[in-house]
Amino acid sequence: METSGAEAAPRPPLARPRARVATGVSSGLAAHLRIAPWLVRVAFVGASFIAGAGLMLYVWLWALTPAEPGEERSTRRAPVAWLLLSAAAACLIVAASTGGPVVDTAGGAPGAWFAAVLAGVALAVASGAWATFIDRPDPERGPRTELAIRIVATAMLALTAVVLVFGPLASWYPVPVFAAAFAAALGIALIYAPTLVAQWRDLTEERTRRIREEQRSEIAAHLHDSVLQTLALIQNRAGATSEVARIARAQERELRDWLYAGDSTVDSDLGTDLRDFAAALEIDHPVTVDVVAVGESRERASGELAAAAREAMLNAARHAGGEVSVYVESRPDGVEVFVRDRGPGFRLADVPGDRLGVRESVIGRMRRAGGSATVGPGVGGVGTEVRLRAPSPAEEGNRG
Amino acid sequence: MAEPVRRVRVVVVDDHSIFRSGLKADLDASIEVVGEAHDVESAVAAVTGAAPDVVLLDVHLPGAAVPAGSSGGAEVIRRAGPSAPGTRFLALSVSDKAEDVVGVIRAGARGYITKGSSGADVSRAVHAVADGDAVFSPKLAGFVLDAFGAAVGETAAAGDELDRLSAREQEVMRLIARGYAYKEVAAELFISTKTVESHVSAVLRKLQLSSRHELTAWASARRLL
Repeated sequence: METSGAEAAPRPPLARPRARVATGVSSGLAAHLRIAPWLVRVAFVGASFIAGAGLMLYVWLWALTPAEPGEERSTRRAPVAWLLLSAAAACLIVAASTGGPVVDTAGGAPGAWFAAVLAGVALAVASGAWATFIDRPDPERGPRTELAIRIVATAMLALTAVVLVFGPLASWYPVPVFAAAFAAALGIALIYAPTLVAQWRDLTEERTRRIREEQRSEIAAHLHDSVLQTLALIQNRAGATSEVARIARAQERELRDWLYAGDSTVDSDLGTDLRDFAAALEIDHPVTVDVVAVGESRERASGELAAAAREAMLNAARHAGGEVSVYVESRPDGVEVFVRDRGPGFRLADVPGDRLGVRESVIGRMRRAGGSATVGPGVGGVGTEVRLRAPSPAEEGNRG
Repeated sequence: MAEPVRRVRVVVVDDHSIFRSGLKADLDASIEVVGEAHDVESAVAAVTGAAPDVVLLDVHLPGAAVPAGSSGGAEVIRRAGPSAPGTRFLALSVSDKAEDVVGVIRAGARGYITKGSSGADVSRAVHAVADGDAVFSPKLAGFVLDAFGAAVGETAAAGDELDRLSAREQEVMRLIARGYAYKEVAAELFISTKTVESHVSAVLRKLQLSSRHELTAWASARRLL
């Protein structure tokens, strides 16, 4: 019942391999049909003589065949841009060498050399396009190849145009000669078109961005003078920890974040994280939390220190209320966080052992993370102060 | 404390009349509002005319001919300060932008308080400023610690050095940043409240006179106030 291996194995899907000669069409097709790649290539070249059918099929397959799935970058063995440029040079040389006889004999039929010039221009433009769109992103070729191709192609086309216009042909066949010269000049423009378009787009984007930035700062200035002032007034009149004041404060914070979002860092450090957490606490509890952060924070917001600090802030909001001060200081040797409230205060010894809040989630957590935590009454016996300390990773490494 | 509370004469400068009237209603009985102003020009006139003890000064004040990069509040201090030598300025701001607040302080304000503060807090700050003390919010203290490089261990060797804080000044600033009142700072450090006040005034002086580039560059980059 078993079929032989060759029959059982499904055909590999039609895909262009990542390691290519030029486009990967031939080798992909050859793998799919299970024949030698050179056979496919010969077939393409042969079919091209039938009204260009082979060439059209090739381009069609190139456009529609997906690349092999995978992450690695495509590589191309053949210097396609240079080959196209060589072909362009060949066409132009052919045009130059056939120009004379055609003029002498046919008398008014500049067919062959004209077509050769146009083909040369088209190939030179194709070479420039290949260099810009395919070679430039390729790390093995890159912008240097693009530049070299452009210089050579430009020189070639410019020379063609000059020879055409100032050569003897111009006086005999002015119309086709100038048309060909114009085609060459157009070719030069087309070679540089992608760069010019990209630059124009950058310029437009830059201008749009600047206008948007100006509008934004205008709006910010206006809102600053009107809405933020009003929100401040509401907080002021409503009493610091009243519901209205808390809502106004949360709104003020949101508005401020939105207005000045442009110049804050995106990645969340400890200070930013605790500030966000404080804003959330203020909405849920009758409390105002003032977060002050000093020093360049290298502490991740997801770390144990942040978790312990959040727990301490939550405790302060829940049990003390009123004004809570949070101070974060990042020093080269470690990070310290102070959470201070002015509530009724509590002593750790009074908390029953089965209550895990402070003992586990603050003190235990810091100890496990290699830091330390103390919980004590605030200065003058007012409220509670929690002090968390985490050594910097470097110092921890030295110690252990 | 049975300290006799002396009356303080105040001019309130803010471009929002609703804010001025709200603030006036909230201030202590010991504070007498002797003038109001709504822009730079009227503020300069009011301050030179009334010669108050303290000016409560909005940082963002409209006014003609306020140079770019400055604020209306700073401009008032610059223009009215010389003609009213006994007057002290307390900046009021809704702004979180360090450059604005540091700007008015470097122009000569004796402190900074946010507009969200309660009337009692503002009154306390007015009295402190009237007595010649500096008013530092926790955020301003945090900014000072950062700007003077305290977090990376820069400490002034000599007391008169303008570009760094002494070890004691750093301790005081740290406690203020942690939310301690001057009295609590004094208790924590076993020094008198008067000594704390003199440390804070010294820091304010450094903030006003220091040429550390962090003070301006850093402030605008991080808008940390």
